[in-house]
Amino acid sequence: MSILKVENVEKYYGNKGNLTKAVDGISFEVEKGEYVGIMGASGSGKTTLLNCISTIDFPTAGHIYINGKDITTLGSKKLAKFRREELGFVFQEFNLLDTLTAFENIALALSILGTNPNEIEVRVREVASRLEILEVLKKYPYQMSGGQKQRVACARAIATNPSLVLADEPTGALDSKSAKMLLESFERLNCELNATILMVTHDAFTASYCKRIIFIKDGKIFNELVRGNDSRKQFFHRIIDVVTLLGGENSNVF
Amino acid sequence: MFFKLALSNVKKSVKDYAVYFLTLSFGVCLFYMFNSIDSQQSMLLLSESQQGIIKSMIQIISGLSVFVSIILGFLIIYANRFLIRRRKKELGLYMLLGMEKGRISRILVLETFIISLISLGVGLLVGVFASQGLSVVSAKMFEVNLSNFHFVFSIGSFLKTILYFGIIFLVIMLFNVVAVSKYKLIDLLNASKRNENLKVKNPGISVLIFLISFACIGYAYRCIIHNGMMEVNFEFWQAIFFGSLGTLLFFMSLSGFLLKVLKANKRVYLKGLNMFVLRQINSKINTNFVSMTVICIMLLVTIGALASGIGMASAFSDGIKEAAPFDASIRSYYDEENNESALPDDTEITKIIGDKLDEISDEHLEISLYLLPIKYGDIIRESGIGDDRKFSLGSFTETGIAAMKLSDYNSVLKMQKKQPVSLGDNEYLFNCNYDAVKEYYEKQKYESIMLDGKEYKLYKDTMFGVQYETSMMLSDAGTFVLPDKALEKYKPVQKILNINYKGNTQFCEEKFKGEILPSLSIKATGITAQTIKDQSLGIKVLVSYIAIYIGLVFLITSVAVLALQQLSESSDNIERYALLREIGAEERMINKALFAQIFIYFMMPLALAIVHSVVGLYVANRVIIVVGRTNIVWNTVVAAIIFLAVYGAYFLATFLSCKGMIREKSRI
Repeated sequence: MSILKVENVEKYYGNKGNLTKAVDGISFEVEKGEYVGIMGASGSGKTTLLNCISTIDFPTAGHIYINGKDITTLGSKKLAKFRREELGFVFQEFNLLDTLTAFENIALALSILGTNPNEIEVRVREVASRLEILEVLKKYPYQMSGGQKQRVACARAIATNPSLVLADEPTGALDSKSAKMLLESFERLNCELNATILMVTHDAFTASYCKRIIFIKDGKIFNELVRGNDSRKQFFHRIIDVVTLLGGENSNVF
Repeated sequence: MFFKLALSNVKKSVKDYAVYFLTLSFGVCLFYMFNSIDSQQSMLLLSESQQGIIKSMIQIISGLSVFVSIILGFLIIYANRFLIRRRKKELGLYMLLGMEKGRISRILVLETFIISLISLGVGLLVGVFASQGLSVVSAKMFEVNLSNFHFVFSIGSFLKTILYFGIIFLVIMLFNVVAVSKYKLIDLLNASKRNENLKVKNPGISVLIFLISFACIGYAYRCIIHNGMMEVNFEFWQAIFFGSLGTLLFFMSLSGFLLKVLKANKRVYLKGLNMFVLRQINSKINTNFVSMTVICIMLLVTIGALASGIGMASAFSDGIKEAAPFDASIRSYYDEENNESALPDDTEITKIIGDKLDEISDEHLEISLYLLPIKYGDIIRESGIGDDRKFSLGSFTETGIAAMKLSDYNSVLKMQKKQPVSLGDNEYLFNCNYDAVKEYYEKQKYESIMLDGKEYKLYKDTMFGVQYETSMMLSDAGTFVLPDKALEKYKPVQKILNINYKGNTQFCEEKFKGEILPSLSIKATGITAQTIKDQSLGIKVLVSYIAIYIGLVFLITSVAVLALQQLSESSDNIERYALLREIGAEERMINKALFAQIFIYFMMPLALAIVHSVVGLYVANRVIIVVGRTNIVWNTVVAAIIFLAVYGAYFLATFLSCKGMIREKSRI
């Protein structure tokens, strides 16, 4: 069963004389338990696409189905309900509330959902132990390292058991070691909890953790790679090949 | 180019901080209005004594205006510092683009200039029109007609306002230039990254400080209730000191304490956005507890000024009619300096005045007062009131009780068109209408007294309240009315002549004041009902105006600071609330959270100020009862309504503009 179904989505900016097609007729599906990456150069439309999927923005045309529900037809109040029940977000800038402790940041997602207070505590601890952040639960964001912050954000995203976790350049602000730890956490969440993850990135190393990658160029799907039984290193090289073909954002990696 | 930049900056900040700029204009407006009173009086047909009051009012208000301008100056400096701090990144960007500090200063100076020009202009414009309204109010309060209503423009007040605020704005400009010259680029660019210092305090310590603050405040209350407000002594200052300290500690520890308590209650803490709201408030009070304390104390002064000001005013004006039953009274005294202990035998005011009296009056009455060898302390000491309340009586207890012959008393009653009384040979009547001492008598059983070996019983077992002369207020602190025979062997110590005018009041009034009073050859004072009315109205206007002036300035200053603190935070809040939206909080939830956050923030200093003022007014009420007979409760209600209206308006404006900010910016 497909969790996410994107059908001919278009997003245009501007007016007739000066039209920018940020997303130009993209269609794809994501099955439950998949770990999909979206890659593309900056300006290729990948963030716009993610914004449309995450209901933060609306497509000009086309339909997006999450769990069989067409989110392009939902009203703003239903959207908020949908967002908190079905989606989990991880952003590049962590986006933790600086006035709240790690525990509270994670608990907030649950309390907005109206979860029973007793359950909240159990749930937060469970997620935190899975992401190995139990020891920072009492700390404030400014007392944590970037990697810890991102894992807290990640814990917040999955604490509500969303159908789909959306990650926008999650490793963008992390050093390579923290990035690796985070990606391993993602991988584990995907394998052990069968969480469905959709991740936008321009970094080939980050992308190599995914099971499938969709490449976007100028608002259109350019290519698709499936990892299959490849090792991560092999997959990484295949990604690099495509990236080079795309016009080489990461050609200077070596 | 720079002008354009400055102008667009001004536009932006005026939009974001509209509440503050309105306050500024309002301050200017008030300043102009109250300083223009002297030019307004030309419109009013005022009597001489009223003009005297106005003269002293002008003096007091111009003195107060210095104080008011200092308060407003502090508000402006505080707000300016706030606004500059919020713009660090913008200033950093200018520098990064290669603008010199001198130019940046010039932009800031230009901005301040534009803003001050606008707020001065708007304030003066509104002030000029509002002052016309003030004339109408003055006329109403003085109970005179607006003789020739015309548009009044006070050049003096106009220039004064420009001068005072000009100085304030000049200081701000200098302040900004100095501030800019000290900035380093790196700090400016990183300013937004450095959050307000989240001081993590040990919650245990918070609870401890919270308890200490309660002890301090409680002790301060005890001191002030025990000491009262009349005597400024060590205990009084103790009350002030511990009250302020307690307030400071209260705000220092409040949020930590609340956090600790609410965290223990998971049902509340982990429900909806409660946790978020609480943390928002927590982070804000932790950094602003000093200004919170100052605001709380300023609100206390406001409530005090408004309530007791209005209370005092009506205390003076209520019961003028009762206090002045006759058109005029003259009271003659014996000359203590010449060692007289009683009036000379032949003293009779009526005779001394002679024929002139008949020109103004058909109806007059001279009565005598005697001094009994019984002291007020003798009957009060036996009363049930504890020693701790004696303070307000002062040396009163050492004074001999005044007495009056029954025949005089009945004449007074007759002149007031009341039924005469008849006393038995061994009866006395007790007359008293001075509220402050009434309760002392009421508490004691003054059943009978001994005078010259004879016992007299209290007539009808009650207290009478006849005002037997015209005076500023009901001031009979206790007079024994005895059968004529009982007082025959005493000599009168005072004589009182009560006069009712005939014919034209104005003529009689002038004759009485201009000819009769100056020509008196004995030690005596005279007063007319008209004077009393004029003066009490004058004092009423004076006290109310001062209370309103000071009260309003304090009120708008403190609420403006609260509003500024909330508004300036919304730049941080925009991101926070956007995040809440992204993780699925509905608009309704977010609005509720924002409302709660601002509401609680506005209520906290107010709540404590109200508790303080309840205690303060309880104590002040006792002072006011000493002065006049008005109870302060009703006035407090009036003051509270004015107060809450202003407070509520600021709160609402802040909420709506914060709401606008977070909504506007979150639409991606």
